[in-house]
Amino acid sequence: MASTSGLRTTLSKMAASLTGLLKPWTPRVLLVRWSRYNPYYLEPEPRKEVYHIPETELTPEQKEERELKSVRPIKAATNSVTSSVFNDPVLSKFVNMMMKDGDKIIAKGIITQTLENMKRKQVEKYHKAPEGKKAEIECNPYAIFHQALENCKPVIGLASIQKGGKFYQVPIPLTDNRRRFLAMKWMITECRDNKHRRTLMYEKLSQELLAAFSKEGNVVKRKHELHKMAESNRAYAHYRWW
Amino acid sequence: FLHYSLSIALPPLSYLVAQVRPLHGSGCGQQQEAVGMEMRPETFSIFRTQENDPDCQSEQHQGQYYTVPPSHFHTVFPHGLPPRYQQQVKTFNEGCVMVRQPALELISHLKRADYSKPTLRYLLYGVKGSGKTMSLCHTVHYCSTQGWLVLHIPDAHLWVKNCKELLPSSYHASRFDQPIQASNWLRNFRTTNENFLSKIKLRQRYVWTKRESTEEGQPLGELVDMGVSRVKSSSDVVGAVLKELRLQAGGTEGGFRLAVAVDGVNGLWGRTTLKKEDKSPVAPEELTLVHNLRKMINNDWCGGAVIATLSQTGSLYAPSSAYLPQELLGEEGFDSMDPFIPVPVSLYSEKEFESCYLYYLDRHWLQHPHSQTEEGKKELIFLSNRNPSVLERLCAFL
Repeated sequence: MASTSGLRTTLSKMAASLTGLLKPWTPRVLLVRWSRYNPYYLEPEPRKEVYHIPETELTPEQKEERELKSVRPIKAATNSVTSSVFNDPVLSKFVNMMMKDGDKIIAKGIITQTLENMKRKQVEKYHKAPEGKKAEIECNPYAIFHQALENCKPVIGLASIQKGGKFYQVPIPLTDNRRRFLAMKWMITECRDNKHRRTLMYEKLSQELLAAFSKEGNVVKRKHELHKMAESNRAYAHYRWW
Repeated sequence: FLHYSLSIALPPLSYLVAQVRPLHGSGCGQQQEAVGMEMRPETFSIFRTQENDPDCQSEQHQGQYYTVPPSHFHTVFPHGLPPRYQQQVKTFNEGCVMVRQPALELISHLKRADYSKPTLRYLLYGVKGSGKTMSLCHTVHYCSTQGWLVLHIPDAHLWVKNCKELLPSSYHASRFDQPIQASNWLRNFRTTNENFLSKIKLRQRYVWTKRESTEEGQPLGELVDMGVSRVKSSSDVVGAVLKELRLQAGGTEGGFRLAVAVDGVNGLWGRTTLKKEDKSPVAPEELTLVHNLRKMINNDWCGGAVIATLSQTGSLYAPSSAYLPQELLGEEGFDSMDPFIPVPVSLYSEKEFESCYLYYLDRHWLQHPHSQTEEGKKELIFLSNRNPSVLERLCAFL
């Protein structure tokens, strides 16, 4: 009996302290799109071209689809979906990977500052370069970003496979998604870890991307090291069974 | 590139010929020819004009960019330009300013004003990012090329906030001095008006300490040098400089015209974020710099003009949607500035937007492949609503 009364007093004490904390609270970001929709709901169509096709040029499937959309409910579009011509899926993925605690505004801000910084450096170089050298300087920050990411993608990866009580690092092929993920992850961790306290993230990121574009820098070095490890562990390749 | 020029009505080729004839008898034509030889060969571009002298610019140049000569840059604008524009100048390796209607209006008023009457006050106002500071800088360039003495205060808000050192004034018991801001401003003032410093002589004796004083008849340059070196009394030096210029501006013997250009004039009336040692707030009147500047903005002197800009961006305790003079200046400010000539600065018109877009294309600033298409251009118009600063920030990462 003493234990239950003791439990009741502790619970009442907890309740007394918690009532002060339980103020009416609405979260700052309200979720509009649920993750589990009724299969009845259809996907939204963000592309503008689809809506510009005149009535006469629609194929029978498209006409059917339009009639279906007029009766069925449609899922809410997520924040990352745009009909903008400047939308880049690879860049969106990079922004999501850089995001911390769901703060996409800060992550997107850093990326736009990075692109601006890269463009500024390259355009300045372009305007100061003599006529012959101008064609070699790449000024498009998006092209630089994509090329730098390509240069950071590893071709072969390593997996830890257990055989006879020991774990071996076995070289395995990687899917495209995995390669892209590794390149982005290495880029972000490199910029976060090996950065001077006073350098801003966008500055460091632009330096790294420009270095990776010309196949220099720490991220490309890390990729080469992975390739060397895979080469040295060639003997264990037959441990892979898939 | 060609299909853009087709969509805008081309002025006749006689436009090029007309420019060679001397227009105002002030030698604009010859100057323009000399300028033309220094720069790249005259290719006909819809968004650039070869008329680099603000005196000769007129409505026909509206929407076109003129280049500020590199030699003028460091003397005329040591501190006046917006920071993003300074970055742009560094990137593009040239400083181009768009000729817009508010600046042209101001310049035409300045040309026709009577300088024996009390000073006229011009106030540039508009929504955030519409180009008030750039119009002010254009007018300052005009005044500078015409040989006026330019008193350019880049941002009055910098004097009412973030002051690390607030010294009690030696001249007046209840006022406060700001040595760092005053000495910085004096240094920039010296760079802008080198040629006037030896010509203007002081009309009064100024005593700084028991051992230091500046005698009557000394050139202004000595006063300014003293203010820059003796940082403690720099705020009082600023007050003395302003007083001397006010007295001598309208003078008939060796008279010069004085242009007082103040950016963010609404900072002079309002509240400050500075605090005294007992944590009570400092009113703007209690700062020497603000007190002296307010005397300058009064229209009790003649021989010059006061050109001011309102600014919400650096302002304290003002809502972000406020842009009208009544809202930003407050009761006190409006009464002090009244009567003034309001000059509204609007967002880009269609022609100006085209011009800006073509300029960015020419400077290789718009790099995204889609931004160079019609679709991308429509999207830029939609996203920026033709607001100059928003467009600049959008194009920065595209």
